[in-house]
Amino acid sequence: MGEILLDVNDLKTRFRSRGKLIHAVNGVSFHVNRGETLGVVGESGCGKSVTMLSLLQLLPPAAQIESGTALFNRQDLIKMNFRQIQKVRGGKVGMIFQDPMTCLNPVLKIGDQVGEALIYHRRVTKEVALARAIELLRLVGIPDPEQRVKDYPHQFSGGMRQRAMIAMALACEPDLIIADEPTTALDVTIQAQIVELVKDLRDRLGVAIIWITHDLSLVAGLADRIMVMYAGLIVEEAKTEDIFDDPRHPYTLGLLSALPAFQAEKKVRRLASIPGSPPDLRAQPISCPFVPRCPFAFERCHSEVPVLMPIKGGEGSGHRIACFADTREWRAKA
Amino acid sequence: MARYIFWRLMRWIPGVIFLLFIVYALMFFGGGDPIQIMFSKEATDAFLPGNPRYEAVKEQLGLNRPFLVQFGDYLWKVMRGDFGISLNDSRPVAKSLFAALPITVSIALSATAIIAIVGIPLGVIAALNQNRWPDNLILSSALFFWGIPTFVAAPLLMMLFCWQFPILPVPRGWAGVFTVNAIIPLTVASIRPMALVIRQARSAVLDVLSEDYIRTARAKGLPEWVTIIKHALRPVLTPVITQMGVVMTNLLAGSLLLEIVFGIPGIGRLIRDGILNNDYSMLLGCTLVILALVTLTNLLVDISYPLLDPRLKQAQRGDV
Amino acid sequence: MASSSTTDTNSVPVLPAKEEKAIGIWQDSFGRLMKNRMAVLSIIIVLIMFFFAIFGPFLTPYDFLKQDLSIRSQPPSSEHWLGTDYLGRDVLSRVIYGARTATLVSLLVVVLSSFIGIVVGSISGYFGGKIDFFLMWFTDLNMAFPNLVLGVVLAVSLRPPLSRWMEQMYLSTANPGFRQSSLLDLALVVTVIVLVAWCPYARVLRSQVMAVRNHNYVLAARALGLSTFTIVVKYIIPNAIGPVIVQMSAGMGSAMLTESAFSFLGIGINPPIPSWGNMINESLRQWTSAPHLLAAPALVLGLMTVSFSFLGDGLNDALNPRQWKG
Repeated sequence: MGEILLDVNDLKTRFRSRGKLIHAVNGVSFHVNRGETLGVVGESGCGKSVTMLSLLQLLPPAAQIESGTALFNRQDLIKMNFRQIQKVRGGKVGMIFQDPMTCLNPVLKIGDQVGEALIYHRRVTKEVALARAIELLRLVGIPDPEQRVKDYPHQFSGGMRQRAMIAMALACEPDLIIADEPTTALDVTIQAQIVELVKDLRDRLGVAIIWITHDLSLVAGLADRIMVMYAGLIVEEAKTEDIFDDPRHPYTLGLLSALPAFQAEKKVRRLASIPGSPPDLRAQPISCPFVPRCPFAFERCHSEVPVLMPIKGGEGSGHRIACFADTREWRAKA
Repeated sequence: MARYIFWRLMRWIPGVIFLLFIVYALMFFGGGDPIQIMFSKEATDAFLPGNPRYEAVKEQLGLNRPFLVQFGDYLWKVMRGDFGISLNDSRPVAKSLFAALPITVSIALSATAIIAIVGIPLGVIAALNQNRWPDNLILSSALFFWGIPTFVAAPLLMMLFCWQFPILPVPRGWAGVFTVNAIIPLTVASIRPMALVIRQARSAVLDVLSEDYIRTARAKGLPEWVTIIKHALRPVLTPVITQMGVVMTNLLAGSLLLEIVFGIPGIGRLIRDGILNNDYSMLLGCTLVILALVTLTNLLVDISYPLLDPRLKQAQRGDV
Repeated sequence: MASSSTTDTNSVPVLPAKEEKAIGIWQDSFGRLMKNRMAVLSIIIVLIMFFFAIFGPFLTPYDFLKQDLSIRSQPPSSEHWLGTDYLGRDVLSRVIYGARTATLVSLLVVVLSSFIGIVVGSISGYFGGKIDFFLMWFTDLNMAFPNLVLGVVLAVSLRPPLSRWMEQMYLSTANPGFRQSSLLDLALVVTVIVLVAWCPYARVLRSQVMAVRNHNYVLAARALGLSTFTIVVKYIIPNAIGPVIVQMSAGMGSAMLTESAFSFLGIGINPPIPSWGNMINESLRQWTSAPHLLAAPALVLGLMTVSFSFLGDGLNDALNPRQWKG
């Protein structure tokens, strides 16, 4: 823990839609260390998925990476050509998507889909791939894997399908797994099981994880560090404990105060929510995007885009925010 | 699987019998008097209802029995291969039918094969190049060719290839599928349905390519050809095969026009002659045979579904 | 929206801007249709055909029935722009009259078949259960079997009773209109095609009615006390009308083709009334020596069916855009 596995610098991605440009990702920089779990939190449309899809060049044709670098094992993923990125996908970086029903091919057997990456990345035979698929299914906790490999996705339950997707991502023993809202489509009880499974696998295999979610409380028990995104920018990044004990960015504050558990502690009666709505991403940001909804905004916020910087007095802790207001002071005064 | 086939048969066979019933009823109650038609070439006076000779023939042919009895009798005879006698030339209908049947079926099968081999890949190519020039070219040509009726395309092609640039002989009669004679008829037969198949294949491929599981396949770093052929093509086959089934049934019927224009002695020709001569037994027999062929085709398409898509073991054709 | 919802991470995150006006579905579709050049061209061609259908016979240079055996099968000339046919009739006038035949038949077919289909489909969708099962079984059967063959059977068997009926009507009303064989032909052709063409409409309506029945907003509307009539008008019709329009356009082209095929076979509109189909039939006798007799009706028929097919396609794209895919 300590060696940098993925280093993303100033990533910008745009979409073309109905003739207009949408600035989905506006200059995002972060890193992931070997074996660590990074939680990425934000509401729908904040650019968290697009960021990760950009890394593996999995964007739809209407999208384009405008600039930035993403060093993985010191090679720039953004600049790779198709064959190079193909080797990384599945082989070095595994991906888990949100809805396992639509993400698994309905006409192919589970065992086939779990094992096929091995055939192309490690050049093993079908029999070896099948054996490995059985092992993997066992690893993710699917009972009776020898029979289950022959099943089709529609014969699995939702939770089991997601486990199969996890097995699929782990097949080639990647260094990093990107999980894009893997539990959002599942029941709450199944969610908990999957989170437990992932924690267990991570401890055993030492794989790094980027876990994307809109649910801050979910990722609290799982991530070592958390990154909060808003309108295509990272607004706060810190170790998990620091996010909860010492949140600085007004948006993070808003998110936390909206958590029922959080409020129970503070004995607040009504569930708070952040007033206003996210900005229109068609315009390039010229001010802090959170301004319309920020209770701490002042003149500077309206004319400059804040850059992600370490907090005052906390340069070594890795706690960074993109904000001009020092909310700590404001809160102390109030 | 056997149960699936059984239930499918249960759906189709009553349908065929029901349609046959309707067709028989239509001819029975609506059409002209079969006796008068049979003997129309002879002296007409003798053959009016009431006349003893008329009544004698009627009794002999069993035409004075109630409708349902006659229908049942017809069904029974058909199952033993007796389709009755042609009202036109008094020869057994079954003989002419089964002589003409292989010709029509071979045309339909060959045309279907041509459409599958040429049309499906074209549709896939169009989909893979969506909105670029190959796609636009293929799509507009398909739409264009769809609008040309058989009986227009036939003379046009003949004019072009037999007259203007005499490379092919004028097709007359039928010598087999793999003869030069067959080129123009088969081309004419394939053009219109091919347009539908191209569009359907393109549409199916586009739909499948936008599915999440294709993104998953790419995310695993699979080579692009694997993604397309292994992951995308299989789900595409289901709607395409449905369409091919429709094509085949239309070909069986559309050969009607084709055979007239090219003078091919198939079932279509028999139907045409049946219309001209008011030959109800012939028409009934032809309709029955075509109904049977169409049902067989639909049944085969239905059977292919669970083989292609494991989810569809319970589904019905109308849901796809 | 501040709340989270499961979004398709692959779709474009479009957020509504304050400046844009909300466009209604119809304006949106109409706009898309107008941008489709082929569709616009097809609309123009169809409108031209309608024009000729209505006003054509008044504009023809010659009487389309007049025979002049002295000028049989003449190629196009300055007097007869499209030449004359084997009975000396002016081809141009006959082609123009053919537009009237084609339009009349297709319009009647589309109106009647859509009406029947909508009624059947709505009943099937609304009542469900056994009624639905049998109606749909029958519809599927009808759709699965080739139109032409069924049509031939229907035409051949319905003709005698229909002509008998017309005889009786003539006898009872002394209206010479009932004596005209062309009316018989028209009635027969329209009836026969309608009997095979109503099925797609039934399917569309049934699926719309069933979908609406199950939607939550219908439950909500009911809870608010809206009457069935309102529900039908506000929910079923707007959703169903798109596919119905597309089907109607395809149906017009298809009815034209079917009528031509029937006329070609001799069970449709018979001469001397010109239909492009029977003109083609007549021309096949000596098309090698008089190709213009084949070319004129064939090209016009082809043009119209291609136009309807592009129009139907354009309507489909306009009403069901697939922008988000691929």
